[in-house]
Amino acid sequence: MNVNLENQVDTKIIDEIMSKHKGKPGELLTVMEEVQEANDYKYLDEASMGYISSKSKVPLSQIYSVATFYSFFNLKPQGKHTIIVCRGTACHTKGSKILLDDLTTLPGCKDAFDAGETSFTTDDKLITIKTVACFGQCALAPVVAVDGVIYSNVTSEQIKKLLENLQEENKDENIRLS
Amino acid sequence: MSTSYQLKRADFIFKNENDWEDVLRKSISRPPNELINELISSELKGRGGAGFPTGLKWKVTSEEVNDVKYVICNADEGEPGTFKDREILSRVPFKVLTAIAICGHVIGARTGFIYLRGEYFFLQNELNKAINEFEYYCKEIKFDFKIKIFMGSGAYICGEETALFESMEGKRGEPRNKPPYPSSFGYMGKPTVINNVETLAHTYTIFKYGSKRFYDLGVQYSRGSKLFSVSGDTPKPGIYELELGMSLADFVEEFGDDDTKAVQVGGASGFLVPRKRFAETNIGFQGKLVGISLPTGGSMMLFNSSRSMFNVLDNYLNFFAEESCGQCTPCRVGCQQLLKGIKAVKRGEKNAQYLDKMLKLAETMQFTAKCGLGQSVGNSFSSIVENFREEMIY
Ligand SMILES: Cc1cc2nc3c(=O)[nH]c(=O)nc-3n(C[C@H](O)[C@H](O)[C@H](O)COP(=O)(O)O)c2cc1C
Ligand code: SF4
Ligand code: FES
Repeated sequence: MNVNLENQVDTKIIDEIMSKHKGKPGELLTVMEEVQEANDYKYLDEASMGYISSKSKVPLSQIYSVATFYSFFNLKPQGKHTIIVCRGTACHTKGSKILLDDLTTLPGCKDAFDAGETSFTTDDKLITIKTVACFGQCALAPVVAVDGVIYSNVTSEQIKKLLENLQEENKDENIRLS
Repeated sequence: MSTSYQLKRADFIFKNENDWEDVLRKSISRPPNELINELISSELKGRGGAGFPTGLKWKVTSEEVNDVKYVICNADEGEPGTFKDREILSRVPFKVLTAIAICGHVIGARTGFIYLRGEYFFLQNELNKAINEFEYYCKEIKFDFKIKIFMGSGAYICGEETALFESMEGKRGEPRNKPPYPSSFGYMGKPTVINNVETLAHTYTIFKYGSKRFYDLGVQYSRGSKLFSVSGDTPKPGIYELELGMSLADFVEEFGDDDTKAVQVGGASGFLVPRKRFAETNIGFQGKLVGISLPTGGSMMLFNSSRSMFNVLDNYLNFFAEESCGQCTPCRVGCQQLLKGIKAVKRGEKNAQYLDKMLKLAETMQFTAKCGLGQSVGNSFSSIVENFREEMIY
């Protein structure tokens, strides 16, 4: 697939990452994490996984099975911005489903989630929508994270504002909700 | 019991004491056996959920003959509704580091790990700074001990101790068969003590003040205090340290919103207690107390009468279906079946008797699933379906 070739991580970078962690227990996970981070679209592309496999002599099937096991590994290109909605019980009872519904108005998003996908990225690779089982911030439910920043007691109005802010050209980095 | 018991606040864990250097130095100058006996007489039990006696765990691991052993602090904190470990690590990190090192002294380990939940990446910098300062002091007093952070990659099952080892070894986090237990065959096949963050913080209190201070809190079989993560329909969500053994009625009196219909004790893998059972339910470990004793990792979620128990159960089952590692059939298939089943009953496609079939399935999972995840699905399932049957039906 073309898109993978374009997005693959430079093998020199992979070599560096691999030699940095060589021989450490559990190195495979760390290597995979850093290679994903080195990818412009923050995912493990097929070519890079193949390269890790051939270099480390770990079968590709094993690398793939690790990648699919942990939710931090992405097998698809990720958007420039990420919005994560908590679907934990505390957030769920305080209306996080409504927040997710507000986001799934993005074209194609609802279909993806209805089909059982756990993450969705817009075609222009601007925004990724995901859910998490619990942020460990339940006292502040419902909780949403935008590019790693936690927002608490989020309302429907506010999530729309956050989404719009990301879609605008001149994003306000320090957006305040109240 | 419950009529005479009042909510008793305690303040040990977060009390800011800048004496970790003293506690460390004094403790590692005591013989391991003495420290083990201190822990045993405190009757501290694990705060990660399972409630295994901590002193005994350290004792059996100390008796293993091996040059390499490990101490692991379980900071995976993935149970929805639990957020106490994060708070401990950010507010009193040195207590935890000190406890890890003392455990190393007791069992004969030179390396400790903190397995930090991936979602808590923001704790990493501060924690690494604390570790540097800590290791610097260890060097100064010629105590050879290293602590490293291992970041999780977003899988709830990795909180289970053997799955955690697998994950640290760079594999899929799938639970192992037990036995062998971590005390003889843990991380990298070496004898390992793995304790919850809060458990370790309590050992600090015990080594500092002696076991009696701890033992005098709580009730029989459930000694000491415990952090509770309070959330849901409550005017004051947050973290509270309370003595164990309180009755749920007293708890609701304090934290409820005057309309509490039920409390989920222990998160998705715990039990739902309906209002009519508040008075007879105590929070602590199993024992011969009057009424029912419910253990908990500390999650207390309150629901008021506006909440649908069907939605709550649906949410839990979605969680389990998502987080099941899929290794064993009862859990992999069971979670899906229960989830589909309650939806079918709700939509009227199956009749109410189908709920009884599912209760049997949940019970079977309890005995046949390989690890605590699959075994505990039945806890919330049965307690919700039995107590709120009418809400499950179309
Ligand atoms: C599915 C599952 C998830 C678990 N998650 C955690 C966790 O996040 N943190 C934790 O301390 N213990 C967790 N445990 C319990 C651990 O397996 C282990 O019993 C505990 O870390 C022992 O520490 P303690 O004796 O101090 O409680 C989990 C168990 C199971 C079955
Ligand atoms: S009970 Fe569930 S989570 Fe545990 S080993 Fe079996 S499939 Fe995996
Ligand atoms: S349930 Fe959302 S942060 Fe815990």
